Amino acid sequence: MTQYLSVEFIAMLTGFLLMVIGVWGIISQKNLLKIVIGFSLFDTGLNIVIVSLSYVKNSTAPILDKAVEVSDAASKIADPVPQALVLTSIVIGLGVTALMLAYVMRMFREKKSLEINSYNELKW
Amino acid sequence: MVNPIHIVSIALGVAFALGFLGKRDKLSLGLVLSTLAGMVAISAGWFIHFLNSSVEPLQIFTGGFKPPFAINLQMGLAEATFTLLINVAGFLGAIYLTKELLKTGKNMMLIFLVFILGLNVMVMTRDLFNLFVFSEIQSIALAGLIILDPNRKSIPSGFKYVIATGLISSFLLLGTVFAYYFSGTLNIDFISQASLQYVKGGAVAVFMVILAVILELKPFPANGWALDVYESAHPGIGALVSGIAGTTSLFVLYKLIPVAPFISDILITLGLVSFVASNLLGLSQTNPNRLLGYSSIGQLGLLSATIGMQQLLGDKFIFIALTILISHFFAKAGLFWLSGIINRDDIKDWAMLRKKPILLVLFGVFIFSLIGFPPLPSFFGKWSLIMELSAGNQYMLVTSILIGSFIEGIYLFRWLGYAIKLDFSDLPEFKLNISKFLPTLTWGILLIATGVVASAEMEGLSGLSYWPLIFIAFIYLIDELPIYIKNTLSIAGLAFYSWLTLPELYYTDMLRFIFMGIFLIGGILTLIAGYAYKGKRRGFYPVALIMYAGLAYIIQASTTLEFFFGWELMTAGSYFLIIRGKKSINHALSYMLFSIGGAYAILAGFGITFAETQSMLIASLSQLSNMVPLVFILLAIGFMTKTASLGLHIWLPGAHAEAESDVSPMVSAILLKAGVFGLLLLMIAMGNNPQIATIAYYLGWLGALTALVGNMAAAFQEDAKRLLAYSSIAQLGYILFALAMMSHLGWLTAMYYSINHFLYKAILFLTIGAVVLKVGTHSMYKMGGLIKNMPLAFIAVLIGIIALSGVPPLSGFGGKWLFYNAVIDKHWYFQGIIVFFSGIVAFLYLYKLIYSIFLGQLKDNLRHVTDISLWFAIPIYILIIGIMIISAKPEWLLQPLGKMISQWYPNGALAWNGGLATSTYGYWNGNGVMITIGIMFTTILIWLIVLSRKAQKVKQFNIVYAAEAPQRPETTHQSYNMYAGYNKALGWIVAPKITEFWNMMSDWILSLAHFTRLIYNGNGQRYLIYILGYFVIIYFLVF
Repeated sequence: MTQYLSVEFIAMLTGFLLMVIGVWGIISQKNLLKIVIGFSLFDTGLNIVIVSLSYVKNSTAPILDKAVEVSDAASKIADPVPQALVLTSIVIGLGVTALMLAYVMRMFREKKSLEINSYNELKW
Repeated sequence: MVNPIHIVSIALGVAFALGFLGKRDKLSLGLVLSTLAGMVAISAGWFIHFLNSSVEPLQIFTGGFKPPFAINLQMGLAEATFTLLINVAGFLGAIYLTKELLKTGKNMMLIFLVFILGLNVMVMTRDLFNLFVFSEIQSIALAGLIILDPNRKSIPSGFKYVIATGLISSFLLLGTVFAYYFSGTLNIDFISQASLQYVKGGAVAVFMVILAVILELKPFPANGWALDVYESAHPGIGALVSGIAGTTSLFVLYKLIPVAPFISDILITLGLVSFVASNLLGLSQTNPNRLLGYSSIGQLGLLSATIGMQQLLGDKFIFIALTILISHFFAKAGLFWLSGIINRDDIKDWAMLRKKPILLVLFGVFIFSLIGFPPLPSFFGKWSLIMELSAGNQYMLVTSILIGSFIEGIYLFRWLGYAIKLDFSDLPEFKLNISKFLPTLTWGILLIATGVVASAEMEGLSGLSYWPLIFIAFIYLIDELPIYIKNTLSIAGLAFYSWLTLPELYYTDMLRFIFMGIFLIGGILTLIAGYAYKGKRRGFYPVALIMYAGLAYIIQASTTLEFFFGWELMTAGSYFLIIRGKKSINHALSYMLFSIGGAYAILAGFGITFAETQSMLIASLSQLSNMVPLVFILLAIGFMTKTASLGLHIWLPGAHAEAESDVSPMVSAILLKAGVFGLLLLMIAMGNNPQIATIAYYLGWLGALTALVGNMAAAFQEDAKRLLAYSSIAQLGYILFALAMMSHLGWLTAMYYSINHFLYKAILFLTIGAVVLKVGTHSMYKMGGLIKNMPLAFIAVLIGIIALSGVPPLSGFGGKWLFYNAVIDKHWYFQGIIVFFSGIVAFLYLYKLIYSIFLGQLKDNLRHVTDISLWFAIPIYILIIGIMIISAKPEWLLQPLGKMISQWYPNGALAWNGGLATSTYGYWNGNGVMITIGIMFTTILIWLIVLSRKAQKVKQFNIVYAAEAPQRPETTHQSYNMYAGYNKALGWIVAPKITEFWNMMSDWILSLAHFTRLIYNGNGQRYLIYILGYFVIIYFLVF
């Protein structure tokens, strides 16, 4: 039972929950801005999942200094790789969100509508 | 050698530097182009390096650490090849977009550079997370490029693209971090060593990674977003998406397969479903870019299936995947570029290409490359694919690949037909921009060049000489010269080839000698008629020669590959000949579809043979012991599409009737014999097998019914050329019937008929064609009474129909005599009666032919028509001499034929005593018959002349019907609806049931296509649901 109350488990659960909410938003909301927000939620959830993976119980930040000897670093520090990855992922997420918003602006300028259903011209 | 990392560094450096250049767009473009050229140079350097020596791939470690602590890139032969493809396409793609890039300014150029850069790294990286980063960079850049040309369509489709790829790459990211969690590394090689598929959770991680890559390949049905991009983005961008982005994703998939090896099996299914479904949906498309999108997705499906088949294909995998990939890469980009040049929304408007004929040629090259015709690379790829899959007994896969390819053929050739035939006078003029033309041309040339390279890699193709093809290319280059030069050169080419091959064949192989003679000598004779045409006759000679080259290759082939090479070449050439006719667009399409279908049946048959015998020799057909009936049926169906047997004949009447006057004999008297030759080869190889006897029995019935229906339909035609076309169907039915007897006399009859049919059908088609050129109509009831105006034509037709009908004294009589002997010998009385009856029906149409054209009342408008052109008369009369010789001296032909057939059927041969042939049932002396009949006729003629000395010569209108003079005597022509009574009684036999059947099939397929494509309803969210659903369904299929 205790493992379900651990920080990393709760974090991961939150992350996945956010992702599900995000996906639900993306596929159920008709408003373009809400879709973008859904995507943003999804992305945030994903990042939380990544961070939760690197957590090692009772360990410290992955910085080699007086507190942590190189020899036993592996057991004492959190895994630095996912933390590095998540930074990149956040940046990319930002880029994609910005791109989506830019698209929404262009779409609104063309048709004065934020309804996704009014952009079904191309089909079949 | 420049370190490959500089592909990344210079691209990035220049991309940043562009920011400092202010508004100097031309300078920026120059910089971008030279950067891309530099990237080409680097990867080309490595490509050559690895090509010349099999050195280990170069590993590049960033930051000085080795993996798993740092990202590493790899440059080996594979990476060098793919980066080279990407960079060359990027460079030419940028040149193509010069105008657009200058218009939108340097931001777009920057994005363009980053896009190419991202693809390069995706190919080189060995790090999973790095792969994710650069695929994101690449797709963000692409999202920018989609609105290179911002409009109401491209903006929403860009949005759909961004959310779809955003979702897909999230799968990639999630899978990546979990793969890291379970394996402790991001390096692809280390992850595959960790065998995550056996770790609970790890398997899901790598599944997510691989499925994200598969989704990037736009599998059906999770691909609505991609289709919209193809349709709405500038075609210059479409070319990049389809050509290089797709190619890169395929390479990534190939690279990641070791990480998740369990995906291979399902990948094959997914790929082939996508291949067949996309091509099916392509049938309903009219927008060229969307059509290309469907075709693109189909090809990507085929290629990802091929990647899944890696284990099945063994050593051949690389060759197969590369040849098919390269065909797609060049052809699809080339087609998108063409689309950008003419810039129309409807494929029917592609007739515009004819305003710049070179574009039409390129279009043809690209289309033929997608279908896989020789000598283009995909021909060899598909051949090897089918052979290897058959060798592994994967017949389901073979079938679905062939079905998918066939459907692809339907819409591609329909499109090509539109471009070649539809009226283009209403379409606007357009300027051929050099920056747009050059990349397209380069792609076309590279496509052919890779085909030649690929052919050098093939086993079982060494027997064919490329000189005929080089000669044809030369004839194409001088296409602007007048007819008489090109015609003379073509005739000289065929004559030279005859001189080269015929004397040798005469002593070594009588069968091939005869068919080679029909093809080449027939070719020369029919080409002579071409002198009658004026002007340049653009494009005629190259395609006619392609057909003859294909026919000659078929004869010379010793392996199945060589045979198939020739077969496809002949099909391509004859297609272009047929479509030259004025109203031939649909007939040419149906000819092509039957031909492709037949060719695939042949391919499958050869594949099964290869699977068992492991040999590509044609002779290996005889060593087959399993599945003999299936192979026999497949090959027979393939060959019967050319002989136009009942059920497969519906393409023929239109194709032959609407063809040009000298083309009709080429495609009738000559081309159909290719099918006969194929059937003969097949029966020689397999005839000894007892299972074949039953099939042959049914083939005999099919031949008999073909003869009956063909002749009856001929009798009811009003169009002279259609009449002859149906007559060809019937004659080929006789030949099929005789072949199916599989006895000495049966085959002697078949060979004799083949030669005879060549002679008299060439005479009749040439003559009628020449008459049509003079009178300007095919309809017989609009002719009549031409005997005095056209005595040469009249005599030729008279001799032709006497020979055809089989009355003494001409050669047809010999055919009939042989035929009855064979039937009695074989005891096929019922079938024999049907054939006998259809021979009587033949009199009806032959009489109609001569009566309604040459006898009866002359029409007013034809009063001043002169005799047929001398250039037609020359070959016609040469052929008549041929008929006279074999009629008078049949032993000259039949004795060597008999000797030849005795190799296979020694029993039942004719006994010869001088000119006297004796069989078990009777005897015949061709010379004697001729002399007897000659004396009889001469006597009667002299008698008549003597009697009619006092006869009065009457003018045309000096006639009386039932004691009443007609008001307008020229209307008393009886040939319109001449056999109305017979039609009423027996017309039901020739009701177009078979045509209706094929029409129903095509309607059914079309409505299926239309119905299925409704899943793409245009809503971006729906497309996301498809992606999620696809993910979930495949997940449950795998785990």
